Amino acid sequence: MFERFTRKARTVVVHAQEIARSRRDATVGPEHLLLGLFAVPDGMAAVALDTLGVTRSDVEVALGPPREAADAEALATLGIDLDEVRRQAEDAFGPGALDRTRAARGGARWLGGHLPLEPGAKKVLQLALREAVRMRHDWIGTEHLLLGLLHAGRARDVLAARGVRLEAVRALVEELLRRAG
Amino acid sequence: MSDATQVAAAASSRDPAVGLAAVASLRGLLESLEELQVANARAEGWSWQQIAAALRVSRQAVHKKYRKFVP
Repeated sequence: MFERFTRKARTVVVHAQEIARSRRDATVGPEHLLLGLFAVPDGMAAVALDTLGVTRSDVEVALGPPREAADAEALATLGIDLDEVRRQAEDAFGPGALDRTRAARGGARWLGGHLPLEPGAKKVLQLALREAVRMRHDWIGTEHLLLGLLHAGRARDVLAARGVRLEAVRALVEELLRRAG
Repeated sequence: MSDATQVAAAASSRDPAVGLAAVASLRGLLESLEELQVANARAEGWSWQQIAAALRVSRQAVHKKYRKFVP
C-alpha cells in the first residue's frame, strides 16, 4: 500500500512519527496523523483544513498536553515535583539522565527507532486507500489520509467537534482537485 | 490547608481520572528511577544479587528485567 503513497503523504506519516515521539507517546495514533497533515502545508489535506477553519493549535488543544506535562501535573497532585526529581537525577547522573531512560522513552524503543502504528492508525491508512479507490485515484495523497481520518476514532471526534464531516470534506476535496486541474 | 493535607487529599482523590492518572505517572517515574539506579549500581560493580537485595525483589526478577540493556 505504501508504494502508492505520494511523497507528501509519506512525509505526513514521517511527521506523525516525530510528533508522537516528541510528545513521548508510545505509539502513533490517528491524532498524530492528523497533526502530521499540518506539517505538510502545501498538501491538499492542509489546504482543506485551512479552508474549513481548523488550525493545528485547535487540534493540539483538543488532544491535551503531551505526556510529560500531563505527568508533571499528575505527580504534583501527589506532592511530587517532577522538575525537582529531574534536577536531582541530573546532579547525580548527568544532563538528561532521567529523560534518557528506556522507561521515560516509552519502553523498548530507542531514540530514532520507529514507533509502532496503533491499530486505529493502520485502519486510517486502509481507509485512505479505500477513499482513493472510491475516487478512482491511483495514488494515495494527503487528501485521502484526511478522509481516512474522518471515519472513526479520536481524530474524527476532534474534527467533528469543529463541524468537519466526511461527506463535506469529500465534496471539498473533489472541488480542490477540479480547481487544481 | 497545609501542604501535607493537600497532598493527602489528592492522594486519596475520589475522582478516578485524577487518582488513576497520578498512579500511572508515579509508576512511570518509579521505572525511570529504578533503571537509573540499577545501571549505576552495575557500573559501580554491584552484583545482580546485591541489587536485588537492596530493591527487595528476587535476583531473577531484576536480572530478567534489566539484563538485555544494562551490562
